[in-house]
Amino acid sequence: MGNSSSSSSRPHQDDSVDFGYLTPQGVYTGSQDWNHAVVTQLICARRLAPFYRPLEDYDDSWTDDQILAARRSPPEPEQSSDSSRAETSQSLPASASFKSHAKRPSTLKDPAKPEAAIYRGAVECPICFLYYPPNINHSRCCDQAICTECFVQIKRSEPTTTHLVSEPAACPYCVQDNFGIVYTPPPWRAGIGQDGSWLDSHKGSSTPETTTPTAPTHKRRQKSFNADSPEVVTIDHIRPDWEAKLAAMQAAVTRRANRRIIMRQVGDRLIPVGITSGRVHALSGEEGGGESSDNNGGSRRSRRRQQHPAGPFEQYLGQDLEELMLMEAMRLSLIEHEEQQRKEAEEKKKKEKDAAGKGLSADHNGSSLGPSTSQATNGAASSPSSPTTSQSSGFLQIRQSSKSRSPSPAARQTTASTSNDLSPPAFSTLSAALSTTSTASAILNSSSDVHPSPSEIAQNASKLAAETESRADATEGQSQAAQEANGSSKVSTPRPVPVHADSSISESTTVIGTEATYEHLPSSPESSQEPLISKKPSATSEDAGEPTEMGSHANTPTTTQ
Amino acid sequence: MASISSRRLAKELAEIHSEGCPVGINLVKADDFTCWWFTIEVMGESLYQGDKFTLQFRFDPQYPISSPAVQFVVTEGRQAPIHPHVYSNGHICASILGNEWSPVLSVVAVCVTLQSMLASCKDKQRPVDNDRYVRHAPDNPKKTQFHYDDDTV
Repeated sequence: MGNSSSSSSRPHQDDSVDFGYLTPQGVYTGSQDWNHAVVTQLICARRLAPFYRPLEDYDDSWTDDQILAARRSPPEPEQSSDSSRAETSQSLPASASFKSHAKRPSTLKDPAKPEAAIYRGAVECPICFLYYPPNINHSRCCDQAICTECFVQIKRSEPTTTHLVSEPAACPYCVQDNFGIVYTPPPWRAGIGQDGSWLDSHKGSSTPETTTPTAPTHKRRQKSFNADSPEVVTIDHIRPDWEAKLAAMQAAVTRRANRRIIMRQVGDRLIPVGITSGRVHALSGEEGGGESSDNNGGSRRSRRRQQHPAGPFEQYLGQDLEELMLMEAMRLSLIEHEEQQRKEAEEKKKKEKDAAGKGLSADHNGSSLGPSTSQATNGAASSPSSPTTSQSSGFLQIRQSSKSRSPSPAARQTTASTSNDLSPPAFSTLSAALSTTSTASAILNSSSDVHPSPSEIAQNASKLAAETESRADATEGQSQAAQEANGSSKVSTPRPVPVHADSSISESTTVIGTEATYEHLPSSPESSQEPLISKKPSATSEDAGEPTEMGSHANTPTTTQ
Repeated sequence: MASISSRRLAKELAEIHSEGCPVGINLVKADDFTCWWFTIEVMGESLYQGDKFTLQFRFDPQYPISSPAVQFVVTEGRQAPIHPHVYSNGHICASILGNEWSPVLSVVAVCVTLQSMLASCKDKQRPVDNDRYVRHAPDNPKKTQFHYDDDTV
């Protein structure tokens, strides 16, 4: 490696800090989901070691050229041999992380190779097993070295719908919570933020070694730093969006828990005709995520969330396909059902005409069935193929809570008609409706084939029929009945699922309660409300002697009904 | 350009070759950087005296940031040890393979830990939910511990 150009990869001082870089040097290939602006700022402020090109290996006896040859090739070009690796410093494409990487050969006679000198006394990062200049980050708790490249990889565990917490990452070395590092910058400065600087004055004339102790040995410090110490950089600093992610996940779960099945009363039956999205628009704007590369899972979520419904149709955009399919299936079954009802009613009318004034029992039947049936027929006739059918006949929205602020269109009409978003619809018929809910969720569970059997629903709704009989004939619009019921009847009926609670309570209860209900949706085949790993008390004692505790035990790895 | 996992595994392998494995642990194969096999046996007094088990490590490109998928081999006439944390399909329920994995741990460190997990066993039995789990278990044991629900939108 006689070619001196190999030593010339001096980074432009505008985008390097102490001969290191502001962007990763390709040790990791995964998504860069940390906040780049924050990391850049921390590096410039010398609170976090810059991204140095690591050495594959290191030996104290190496010459500068050997050191530079051992440097890992920059991220972009594929390199096979050592000799060509050196040349990449000149041929680095502009598409690389920053253009000014393009190196210019320094004065050939320049003995000063500060880029090499900084590696004197290189430290091996215990995670990536690569060597870095001795000014490396150290864990705040146990003072272990960690390169910036590895540090930015460590993050909180992503919350999942079954594990709705985001635990702070523990130190990989001593497992202390809230992993953070402390960085002691070298006594000299180069690149961004250099102050007058030896680099300019010494460039090409004398060796930097004379002025700078380039390999300050890291003195083992005695105390550890608190996570909130000003010199500490934690993994949460560089991913400030973790809270937003957690909240997004919680919102998603809440939304699922808040899905309401919209029932329509047709005669003595409750027919599920739709499902609300239960969407919660609590969050807007996401910090940090914007800069990260697009291939991480979080960005999809955030993009989704940023779609605020501006018009009535915007809501459809955010609607789950699953919901739409379900609604369609329900609508079809409703039409079918109405058709049948219409025929039955016609037949009955005929019969009634025939047997006019004959029996009282027939008359009674007619009075309870008649009006609502015709009403349904009207609705179906006016616009059989659109959800707006609902307007004429009215919807019962089950388990509505304040959370579902932008329900599906059908539900919106309901909300409009009841005009009070916050008060739960305390139907006297709630129990009947609820039992239907469980039927409907059974339907949900097998959402591939979603034709609710009317007979089953009817069975469930028989209680409802008994209670509404008196009212059904009188009221044309069900919404009115709903409001009426709101005020008049606070019936405490046995409830199969936690419902009708104040929104504050329901937030915690329904999340759990309905999680179970939806756990067999095709999109979440394995979900389970039980923690997938739970510590067995016995296990701890068993493995008490282990350096790392071994005791966890998968309780219910997969769920069955 | 080699990924972080192959780079690190190359170094781990070099160390295994130069310094050897701890007693009771032997490298069976490490032909690539995606799947390694080791045999482990418990030395000294234990319920598994004289037994030799085979451990399989599968690595993804994010190793060591992400944990390896470790399980006992139950094919080719090999058996998983009967242990309260080892399912009959070879899956192991150990926190260090799941949420307590640390990138500082190495392949050999995992072997040693599992070796002592066996050594400390006092009751040879399968996990209580073995049958149920094995019936539905995913191929990759890591999927058991980390369930990422896709329905997040």
